Amino acid sequence: MKRKTAIILRYVILILGAIIMLMPFLWMISTSLKTQPETVKIPPIWIPKHLMFSNYVDALKEAPFFRYFINSVVVTSLTTVGQLFTSILAAFAFSRLNFYGKNILFVIFLGTMMVPGEMLIIPNFVTLSQLHLVNTYGALIIPWLASFFTVFTLRQTFQSVPDQIYYAAKIDGASDWHYLWHVLVPISKSTITAVTVLQVIGSWNAFMWPLIVTNTENLRTLPVGLQAFTSDAGTNYALLMAASTFVIIPMVVLYVFLQKYIIAGISKTGLKG
Amino acid sequence: MEVTFKDVSLSYDGSREILHHLNFTIPEGTLVSILGPSGCGKSTTLMMISGLLAPTSGQIFFGDEDVTKQDALQRKVGMVFQNYALYPHLNVLDNIMFPLKMAKVPKPERKKKAIELAKLVHIEDQLDKKPGSLSGGQQQRVAIARALAKEPSLLLLDEPLSNLDARLRIEMRQEIRRIQQETGVTTIFVTHDQDEALHISDHIMVLNSGQIQQFSSAETLYDNPSNLFVAQFIGEPVINTLDIADFGDELKGQIDTELLKRTQKVGIRPEALQDHDTGAETLATITTKVKTFEKFGREKNALLDFNGKRLLTTEIEAEIAEGQELPLYLQKSGFYLFDQDGTRIFGGDQDA
Repeated sequence: MKRKTAIILRYVILILGAIIMLMPFLWMISTSLKTQPETVKIPPIWIPKHLMFSNYVDALKEAPFFRYFINSVVVTSLTTVGQLFTSILAAFAFSRLNFYGKNILFVIFLGTMMVPGEMLIIPNFVTLSQLHLVNTYGALIIPWLASFFTVFTLRQTFQSVPDQIYYAAKIDGASDWHYLWHVLVPISKSTITAVTVLQVIGSWNAFMWPLIVTNTENLRTLPVGLQAFTSDAGTNYALLMAASTFVIIPMVVLYVFLQKYIIAGISKTGLKG
Repeated sequence: MEVTFKDVSLSYDGSREILHHLNFTIPEGTLVSILGPSGCGKSTTLMMISGLLAPTSGQIFFGDEDVTKQDALQRKVGMVFQNYALYPHLNVLDNIMFPLKMAKVPKPERKKKAIELAKLVHIEDQLDKKPGSLSGGQQQRVAIARALAKEPSLLLLDEPLSNLDARLRIEMRQEIRRIQQETGVTTIFVTHDQDEALHISDHIMVLNSGQIQQFSSAETLYDNPSNLFVAQFIGEPVINTLDIADFGDELKGQIDTELLKRTQKVGIRPEALQDHDTGAETLATITTKVKTFEKFGREKNALLDFNGKRLLTTEIEAEIAEGQELPLYLQKSGFYLFDQDGTRIFGGDQDA
């Protein structure tokens, strides 16, 4: 009896948690189907009288969302691939190679993880402007080609691979390069998938940085593009939420398919992205 | 491939030597065991043969070629590790093909060769499985096939049987012997288990504290141990070791007085203590008291008291009672004298 109560209690808590997590999404979808007056009605309504699917069409007409979408895809894929490549090489160096100052360098890099991202915005902006990269794709991509979080996560995984596997690969005629790409990376598949997904989501949702370093419409990414619905005359919430729904769909799909890896990757390192 | 070590030493930190001036030659086509207690440097020696570890000084030759400066890649050796070290993300076939892929052998040839090897080690029905779903013995077979894939000049095995259960260990050591004889590859086998070494090898190198104690056939190790360490390390039950001071006049007149003066320790194999006179084979007689006597299957172990020291014999024929006095006949074979450095100065074939 006591056990049954515990199980019920556990599920009640989980269900409450799930509701709290889902609330913003449900509110977003609900709002996206409302008429303009309904969105500001008090008390708020959850189910609109008429489902305004036309909001979705109107939202896409409001701004060049196709262009934004392409920008987001380009920026996200290039930063993810680039970051993964540099991180895999760095993680290999930190886990397997011996070089002068390795540990000190590692500690310094680790220290950079403690600095809040917001603090880096101004120095990064200054650097980019001196390189004449402000308002280019370079500004959106180059600063994100290295991530110590990814290096650290991969290093932990690489280090858990036994030395004997490395020696066996050496005996089998593999160079360090071959060992890295033919043995170590495939073995670390689940961690690599996890950091990839985290990076894709982070990059896709990035708002502050693209907003600051770009000012032409051609370079806007989706999250920045959502501003189109905010004007001096106020915000058109129904259209904004309709567009937002489009923006997050790819990420939701990605998460649903890869959640196993994401959870495994995060719980292994004890870090969140 | 013949392997020669010329004055090879190794120290990790430059001051403390792990291996001291190793000199040996492993003849081509033989199976040699490196045997010693843990921490004696046997795996380190193997690492140096493989090229994974470079010696601090000295030279290593494969045949006539000096390979001291070559790394593992250039030396073309095959190696089986204690925990097999199979690639967990590849199936059995891909594991065996991996060295061939690294050597850029064309794919159809790779596959043909790998299947051939899988047949040799009797694993051809498991080709699609991942190492994680194989038993220890099967993983072992895959590891051997992988090590043989590039037709290595040498096959190195680092305690390959220590993770297997007792029955499988005996099966696999016979398998290793069979595979070695079928392929004729020079094989070096590291183990801490004398039983394994004695059964599998043509020659055994006994190593202790980074020095070669003796390098000879199993029979020679047992019959003619070059020092006290080898005498005590080889043989089951362990040899009886006494101080020369434990003896009274029993050995006088039987052995040269000068020799007795230099003697520090006396080693007597348990089978060299007979309970009846064997005539010319008998060296001397000692009087002992029976402490315990156990019979179990074919084994008869009697524990005896000799001037306050314990002696073990396996050769009691008559019925004896605990506490009774028992004269024992020391046999010439299996009786050794060692000087203060532990070197054998009496016993073995020279004095038989």
